[in-house]
Formats: sequence, C-alpha cells, structure tokens
Amino acid sequence: MRAQRMAVFGCTALLALGAAACGSSNDDKSGGGGSSGTPSAGGGNADTVILGTTDKVVSLDPAGAYDLGSQQLIGNMYQNLLSVPAGGNKPEPDAAESCDFTDPKTYVCKLKPDLKFSSGDPLTSEDVKFSLDRQLKIADPSGPSSLLASMKSVDATDPQTVTMHLKKADGTWPFILTHTVAAIVPSKIYPADAKQPDDKAVGSGPYKLDKYTPNQQAVFSLNPNYTGANKGQTPNFIVQYFEQPSALKLAIEQGDVDVAYRSLSPTDLEALKNESDKGVKVVDGAGTEIRYIVFNVKKKPVDQLAVRQAIAQVIDRQAIATNVYKDTVTPLYSTVPAALPGATQPFKDVFGDPDPEKAKKFLEDAGISTPVELDGWYTPTHYGPVEVDLWNELKRQLEASGLFKVNIDSTEWDQYKDEAFAKHTYYFYGLGWFPDFPDGDNYLSPFMRDGGFFQNGYTSKRVNDALDKELESSDENDRTEAFKVVQQAEADDVPLIPLWEGKQIAAVRDGVEGVENTFDPAFQFRFWLVTKKES
Amino acid sequence: MIPMIWVLLTVVFLMMRVAPGDPISATLGGKLSPDELARRQAALGFDRPILLQYVDYLWDVVRFRFGTTITDNQTIGSIIIENGGATLTLTVAALIFALILGLPLGLIAGRFRETVPDAAIRVFAILGYAAPPFFVGLLAQLLFAKNLDWLPASKMASPIVQATAVEHTHILMLDLAIEGNWDGVWDVFRHLILPATTLGLLVMGVFIRLVRVNVGQALGGDFVEAARARGVPERRVVSRHAFRNALVPVVTVMGLQAALLLGGAVLTEQTFSWPGLGSRLLQYLNNRDYIGVQGLITFFALVVVVISLIIDIVNALIDPRVRY
Repeated sequence: MRAQRMAVFGCTALLALGAAACGSSNDDKSGGGGSSGTPSAGGGNADTVILGTTDKVVSLDPAGAYDLGSQQLIGNMYQNLLSVPAGGNKPEPDAAESCDFTDPKTYVCKLKPDLKFSSGDPLTSEDVKFSLDRQLKIADPSGPSSLLASMKSVDATDPQTVTMHLKKADGTWPFILTHTVAAIVPSKIYPADAKQPDDKAVGSGPYKLDKYTPNQQAVFSLNPNYTGANKGQTPNFIVQYFEQPSALKLAIEQGDVDVAYRSLSPTDLEALKNESDKGVKVVDGAGTEIRYIVFNVKKKPVDQLAVRQAIAQVIDRQAIATNVYKDTVTPLYSTVPAALPGATQPFKDVFGDPDPEKAKKFLEDAGISTPVELDGWYTPTHYGPVEVDLWNELKRQLEASGLFKVNIDSTEWDQYKDEAFAKHTYYFYGLGWFPDFPDGDNYLSPFMRDGGFFQNGYTSKRVNDALDKELESSDENDRTEAFKVVQQAEADDVPLIPLWEGKQIAAVRDGVEGVENTFDPAFQFRFWLVTKKES
Repeated sequence: MIPMIWVLLTVVFLMMRVAPGDPISATLGGKLSPDELARRQAALGFDRPILLQYVDYLWDVVRFRFGTTITDNQTIGSIIIENGGATLTLTVAALIFALILGLPLGLIAGRFRETVPDAAIRVFAILGYAAPPFFVGLLAQLLFAKNLDWLPASKMASPIVQATAVEHTHILMLDLAIEGNWDGVWDVFRHLILPATTLGLLVMGVFIRLVRVNVGQALGGDFVEAARARGVPERRVVSRHAFRNALVPVVTVMGLQAALLLGGAVLTEQTFSWPGLGSRLLQYLNNRDYIGVQGLITFFALVVVVISLIIDIVNALIDPRVRY
C-alpha cells in the first residue's frame, strides 16, 4: 500500500510540475526575450517586424538564386540599376539616375552619385560590370544567369556610366535589369568566380543582413549607407522560416510573428479572416502567379481544335475561384495577368460565359461523338495540396456538361515534368507560373513560341512574328499591340487554357501596416513599406 | 561497423538515383527550357554513368568529403554544426522525459502485475510507441498550443530570442545560459516541452515494458526471496533488489533506442518546425538533393554506430558477465 501511495504521489507531482510550467505561460506570453528586455513574440515592439513564411532560401548571392524565397530577401538587401516601384508595372531608375537605349542593341545607364554598399565601399560602374560578368562566369546551376542570354558584353565606360551591349534587340532588357540576376554586388568583397557565403551577403539596398541561420531565420536592420527613395521605417526586420503552413498559421494566431506571408492554404486564410478577435486580419493585393491547362496538340483527342474549344467553353473559372480557392484567386482569361500592361481577356471575348450548349455545337460541327474521354494529369507536390481540389472541380464541370468523361491522375513533380515535357505522355495537364519580371513577354514567350517550354507541339507564324516584334521594340504601343495578337491566338487556337491568377495574401497582426502596399505584379515583398505600431 | 556503413551508403545512393528527378528539376524544372535544364544537369554530372558517380561518391566519403548541398549551398559539416545542436537538445530531452516517466511506471507495472494499474500502464506504453510522432504531435499542438494556449506550437525559440542569441556552442539553450539570458533559457524550455514529450513517448513505451518484465522476473528471483526471508521490508526489496537489477538491460536498450530516437526526431522536427537535422534531411529528400541526403544519412549512421559502441563498453563495465 505504501509503495502504491508513493507512486501516486510521484505521478501527481510530475503532472503538477508540468502544469505549473505550462500554466505560468499565460502570464508570460512573451516567453522571455533576452537580457535586453526586448519581447520575444511579435507583438509589442514597434522596432521589429517579424515575417513568417514557408518559403525556402537557396542562396543569398544573386548568382545562385532563381527561387522566390531567395529573391524576396535579395530584393531588400541589394540594389539594381532599375526596379519596379510599389504599385507600378514599369522599370524606373533605382541605383541608376537614368537608363536608355542609345540604339536597339546598346543600353546605357548613369549611376546616381555617392552610392555606397552597407560595408562602406563606394558603388561604381565597375561593381555593376563585375556583377553582370560574374553571373555569366559562375553560371550556377541553381542561378538565373540564363536570363542574361541576350547580353554580349558590359563596359564600365566611366565610374558613373555602364554600357550594355546586346546580341540582338531586346525590349525586355529594362525588365531583366530589375530582376535579381542584375543585383549589384561589391567587387571588393565578392569572388568573381564563386558564390559568396550566405551569412556574408553585402548589398546597397535599404536593409542589411545582420544574421542568417539557414532554414530558421534571417535578421535584417536598416542599412545606414542607403540614400535611395526606399528608406525603411522599421529598424529591424526578421524573417522566420516554417516547415508547415499549419505551424505558420498557429504562429500568427499566437502572435509569434507579425505577418504570415506564403503559403497559407485557402482554408487557413478563410479561418483567419474570422479571427479578428484574436488580433489577426487578412490583407491581399494584386498577384501575378497563374495556373493554366496545357494541351499537347499533337495527341488525340485534343489534337482536334473543337475538343479544346469545347473544354474552354465549359470551364467555369469563377466557380473554381470560389469553390476551390475561397476567392483567394481570380479568373484569368489570357496567360497575361490583368495587372500587367497589354493584358486582354480573349477567352472571355471568344467564349463568354460557360455554356454546355455552345460546347456541344463545337463538337457536333466537327463530327465528334460524345462523351469525349479525357485523361487529365496534375502534380500535388509542386503546386501544393489544393491542386487535387482544382482537378476534381474541373472533372465535375466537364462531366456535368454531359460532353466529357474525365479520368484524373497525379504523379510526383519530377516524374510529372519528365512525362509532360520530355516524353509527352500527357495531353491534358496542369501547370503554374511565377514571373521572372512583370512584363507581358514573360507570360507569352515561354508558353507560345514554338511549343513553349513544355513542347506541346503548337506553333504559329502569327505568334512568332508578333513575339519577334515585341522583343525587338522598346516602344510601348508596339509591344502592347504584339501582346494583343499573341493573346488572341491563345483563344483562337487554344493550345492552353488560362484558369486563374492568384492574389498575394498575408495574415497580419493588429498594428502592422503597409503589407498590402507591397502586393503588386513585381511579386516583391518590400520590407521598407511595412510598419508596426506599439501595442 | 565499416561493412554496415558501406551497405547503408550504397542503399541510400541507389535509392536516390532510382527515384525520378534531381535537384535542378525539383526546384527549377518548370522554369527552364529543356535544353537549359539538360545543360545544368550535365554541369553537375548527373548525366554520367551511375557507376562512376558511385565510385566518386565512395571516394569522397572515404576522405570525409561530404560535399556542398545543391539546393541551398551548405556544406554537410556546416549543416551538422548549425542544426546538430537542435537535434541533440531534442533527443536528450526526449530521453530524459522517457526515463523519468518510463522507469517509475515500469516499476509500478512490474510490482503490481496483472492489476488495474498494470493494465492501464501497459495500454499507455503500447499507445506511446504505436502512435506515430506526427499524429501525437499534431494532437498536442491542437490541445496545448491552439485550444489551451499554454505552450508554443513550433520552433525552438521565439524569434527575437533566437535573433539576439550569441552563438558559442550552437546549442541554443546552452548559448543563452552562457550569456546569462535566463528568460531566453525559459523560452527555449517552453518550446521544448511539446516536441520532447512527443518524441519521448515513443521511447518511453519501450522502457516501461522492459522494466516491467525485468522487475517481474527479479521479484521471482532467489535473491529476492532470500531478502524477504531475511525480513527486508517489501519497499526496500523492490527498490534496492528488483529495480536495480531491472535497470541493467535498460542501459543496453538505450543504445538501441538511439536509432529509434533519430528516426522519430525526423518526424517530430518536421511536425514542430524544430530546426534540427531531421528537418533538413526531409527538406533535402523532397528536393532530391543527393548531397544533402547522403551526407546526413551517413552522419546518422555514424552516430548510431558510435553510440552502440559506447553502450557496449559501458555494459562491459557495469556487468562483469559481459566480455568482448
């Protein structure tokens, strides 16, 4: 009996200890915070904004980064000659005072005076030349050097002037200079033929990197040497990395982070919209991520235009946006997102509202018997777990028309890509796209020129001529007209069907402001626009 | 030891190559033209004969060159230094939790065999090691973090504690203690409770069953009967004679549990966004980063082998019957 009593006492004591440890947390919500007395949670300290994300960082050296997670940090640490300002959609001078084509194959930029890196070293045209040259020299397999394919050479004409010589006329060149591929690094610090260690990244942007722990945290503070127009208002900015979206959601609910940006599921966002009592609100703005269906136009049954047109006629984009994505995306009627100059809506103009009767007529006129059997493919590992819901909704819509019988199947991204792009096993499959830079060409050339990067067998002289024209021109009207032609070809020939464009969405704590101002087609989270009030 | 590691390395190498994809395809496959993709794959040597890649790989391992990961540009050594402390903190805390709870419960179950407390403890033990850590972890997060709001749901520390910590040992709790930042130490401790408990439950079940069986056997032993005959009180018989003898096999099993702990740590770290080696391993697996996966698996294998070796030595020291 005595042993029994001891055992019960022991267990009770253990549980009480645990409860005490847990229970006291309510009184100490900040959970410590160091000898400096700074709070450890997101709330309270207006000097520091904490951004939570599930993005990954590949490299903080512009030569090694071609992924969104890295580019989000690089955009805040480094300067480019040109950048797209918040809310804008055209490149404007950043480190440069002015930039212009002196002839179709020569682009000249004058630097602003007295630019400095956070290390204190002056930023000159030699650094710009060094930065572009090392991209091509390093040609990192995970890097963006291929974006500089049209550059022949670059000269530091004088300390303030950079001259870029192109292999051929390229109207997208100013946009390419806004990409992280053209971020300026200090030639005195960075190696010319190897990547700089991430924790030693140095730039001349609004923020400087103070501490970097891969996959855990990046800590930034204001760059005292920055003299540009984007001076930040929040002294410290921390990016906290999470493995799971569910953990990120809990972190914003508990106040461990001030902003939860990428990638909360539509269901999580829907739930957070109703949690204003917990001090959380959801903000959104324009985004330029898109999702679309590709047809391999050489394979039955989608080798027949009427089948593709009938599918396009049936699909209800608004139902997809509402039922699957809880209106966190909006319908897309050409591959060019609505916020970009030159975007049109040819699929809306040609097909109008979803109409099974019109779809039936396409098939009847072509002598195609129904139901048409379709094998659709998607990948759940590259575009997230919601992809399965998208394809179930597509199947439902197509079969509800009575014109199609749809089998859907999925496979892991690596195999999916091989089967779709290289082996051409699939003829009806889903893909998505993030922009390299916010220009219509980046949403047309990769898809529509000679079968696109996915090699779907579609080719059109009308399209190729228009793409050549817009690439060779720096005239905005000429380019817009060419974009219009290519977008119209999308709806006329239906080699693909655009489905939706994503909004950029974040959950923010009360007192945090400015996040929505950074959501625009450039897809750059600008730390300098975000502020926090003391709570 | 060496043949075991060689077999393991070979299996990991082959499995990574059999699975479709490569690091470049995984991250940039939808972004590059087929020609550009092929060029980059060739630049990394992925188009070379698999036998040549294998020979190069083994040669690098022999020279302790584990390489630099392709997807995030980290050397294996730096990953172990950066993230090893978190895994060490988690596994040691889980082991301590398992011992603190598992040994007394095993003792109670063994002392009161075939009674209601015994049955209840056995069910608890079975649930402990049968329930996957990610499932237990999610339930714990839901209850203690989301619903009750008692404990943090994920990460190793609050962001500002982590941001202001000065690195000395790469073990965050220790670094904070060295700096005298006791608020920070408390913060890390609070973050540690849920993951350590989740992982500890897995091992605790094994300890409970082991101690229960051994206490039961010891209580039926001649030396216990002799003690009772001498009039030694029952409490003393159980604690001094039966329990102490039941602890010897626990030391042996602790070595075997190292592999279970590391395996469980992968799932636990992922569930709690705990920044340890397990999280990194999963990240590299998802990205088909051969270098990262191979390097970390090799390290895990070495850790298990070394721990087994240490346990064998300790066994020989504490139990005179054991000779090698």
